[in-house]
Amino acid sequence: MRFKTGLAVAAGALPASLVLIILFLTIYAWPAILFNGFQFVTSNTWNLGNLYSDPVMVNGVQISPGAHYGILFLIVGTLLSTIIALLIAVPVGVGAAVFLAEAVPGRLRLALSFFVELLAAVPSVVFGLWGYVVVIPFLGHYLFPFMISVLGFLPFFGGPPGSGYGLLTSGVVLSLMIVPLIVATLRDALVSQPAEAREAVTALGATKFEVVWKVLLPSQSRVLIGASILALGRALGETMAVLMVSGNALNYLPGNIYTPISTMAAFIVSQLDSALQDPTDMAVKSLAEIALILSLISLIINFLARILLSFEKQGARRATFA
Amino acid sequence: MSDKGSYSRKATRRLVLGAALGATLAYGGFAIAADAPPHLLETGSTLLYPLFNLWVPDYTKAHAGLEITTQGTGSGTGISEAISGIAQIGASDAYMSEAQMKKTEGMLNVPLAISSQMINYNLPGLNDKNLKLSGPVLADIYGGKITMWDDAQLKAMNPDVDLPHQTIIPVHRTDGSGDTFIFSQYLSSSTPSWSSSVGFGTTISWPAVQGGLGAEGNPGMVNAAKGNPYSIVYIGISFKNATSAAGLGEAMLQNKAGKFVLSSKETVSAAVAATADKTPTDERLSLIFADGDNSYPIINFEYAIVKQQQPSPDMAAAVREFLEWAIKPDGGNSAQYLDQVGFVPLPPAIAKLSATQLASIK
Repeated sequence: MRFKTGLAVAAGALPASLVLIILFLTIYAWPAILFNGFQFVTSNTWNLGNLYSDPVMVNGVQISPGAHYGILFLIVGTLLSTIIALLIAVPVGVGAAVFLAEAVPGRLRLALSFFVELLAAVPSVVFGLWGYVVVIPFLGHYLFPFMISVLGFLPFFGGPPGSGYGLLTSGVVLSLMIVPLIVATLRDALVSQPAEAREAVTALGATKFEVVWKVLLPSQSRVLIGASILALGRALGETMAVLMVSGNALNYLPGNIYTPISTMAAFIVSQLDSALQDPTDMAVKSLAEIALILSLISLIINFLARILLSFEKQGARRATFA
Repeated sequence: MSDKGSYSRKATRRLVLGAALGATLAYGGFAIAADAPPHLLETGSTLLYPLFNLWVPDYTKAHAGLEITTQGTGSGTGISEAISGIAQIGASDAYMSEAQMKKTEGMLNVPLAISSQMINYNLPGLNDKNLKLSGPVLADIYGGKITMWDDAQLKAMNPDVDLPHQTIIPVHRTDGSGDTFIFSQYLSSSTPSWSSSVGFGTTISWPAVQGGLGAEGNPGMVNAAKGNPYSIVYIGISFKNATSAAGLGEAMLQNKAGKFVLSSKETVSAAVAATADKTPTDERLSLIFADGDNSYPIINFEYAIVKQQQPSPDMAAAVREFLEWAIKPDGGNSAQYLDQVGFVPLPPAIAKLSATQLASIK
């Protein structure tokens, strides 16, 4: 009996800690939430105010004079970098998963899959360092100017190539981190498809490509969407790698895809020390508000992804043969 | 049945565990009871970091058992970790604000040396020339009003330099930085429009400039300038070796008297002579934009931010004695250390004020 209650407490601690984290963030950031209001997500200016002047009273709270907290550029930066990461990672991931599931014999498939999944084991700060040392000079000096000369007529693809730190670089580094997630999930789903489905369509005269493109992939579309949303959730929270390659833009929206950006997670890290200088604490509380918004977005996205993927597990059991 | 066997196995297991636990407790207790030498943590300003790395090895060699860890994390971190007590010595180029001093009682701002700041740039082909720049021009560059290197204002100030038609990339510090503090104080003192719109601080709301970059720490600024042609940065004087090795140019800055000067022992000393006598007892004073024809405009006290009340008498003595050695003209303030980083020693009157503050650490 004691073992059962002990186990229940240990198991219950996990969802309890999730609730407690969100609760803590909300309570801690409450003064900032009240002070900032809705313009927190629509305003494009993050200003700590004059930290060396005496605090003033505004709307009943003490803040540093001139303090104004708005994170539109962070939301735009986070969304754009994750979208670019997905646009790169999903086609590459689907291609790799199809290759591993269909075109590779058994033992080789195990070895190659192992390598792809190991990519997920690389710490994100290592990606950031590699991006900083290798990717940025290459992109800034060679690839971006080339892209401008070839694709410059398209909107957002023209303009100054910048220094290599920026939106596209962040997207590329993020895509490397989320590709293993998509490949692993999709490959497992494809491999678990019953052989009868493939044989039936092949018997009707379909080529191998048609089997994959017209039958296998569409039947796994829910898994693909679920895996992509899971990857989206991972990319949203990615901090260190983006911090090192994004260029840390402040208070402006990117004019083209080579421009520096800032994401919510990276911003919290880079601004924490500065925010601690604020004697009124409103700056740290506003950072906590950013953390709260990021947590809620991430939770909702992961929740959606899990539901989609769990439907598919139940569905696969039912759909044996039409 | 194997009752006897399992009983002796259980007993042996308990005996081994008990012995291991006992040994750990004894060792731990012994370690606490014995005299653990104080271990100091110094963190903060990347401008002051190279000097601490010269001081600490020599000082700890002469004082066996004392360990001092140094970190370069930015003045903002130095101040906040000194306030929270994580670090015993917070290095900062910026003194604490009035509001911070009121919020946290018993913090000392102790000048250890006098440093200065360079404005560097990366202009391919022109990095051996010293461009002339002024506070208002820099305020316009960092404010996004001057965007090209061959702007009329820059050409007028440098008529004999063939400035290229390229976009300027202004680089600023992203971390809470004493370098930002003194640079923005120079802009505020020389340019009223900057003072009223942006002001100064360890973190300021940099005006949005398309293509502007952020970097962390003085080393990050050197790298950003090295990797980005046509960029302009502000870097502490202790990184002059790094900027010369990277081939960056250094600007001549316009001082209050209207003259253009480079940072050197003479120009910094001239600025110190003009301002240091205004130093109050808590030693929180800005030395920026001093009077005098030969004064360099961006100079500052390098502060150790220390708590008056240390956690133990041993710790207090260790901190006090180290910092007292640091400000001695035959100790840390001697030319053998300061010349290597381009700093200038404290004038005797300031050193006395620092010593008075240090004596109150307990």
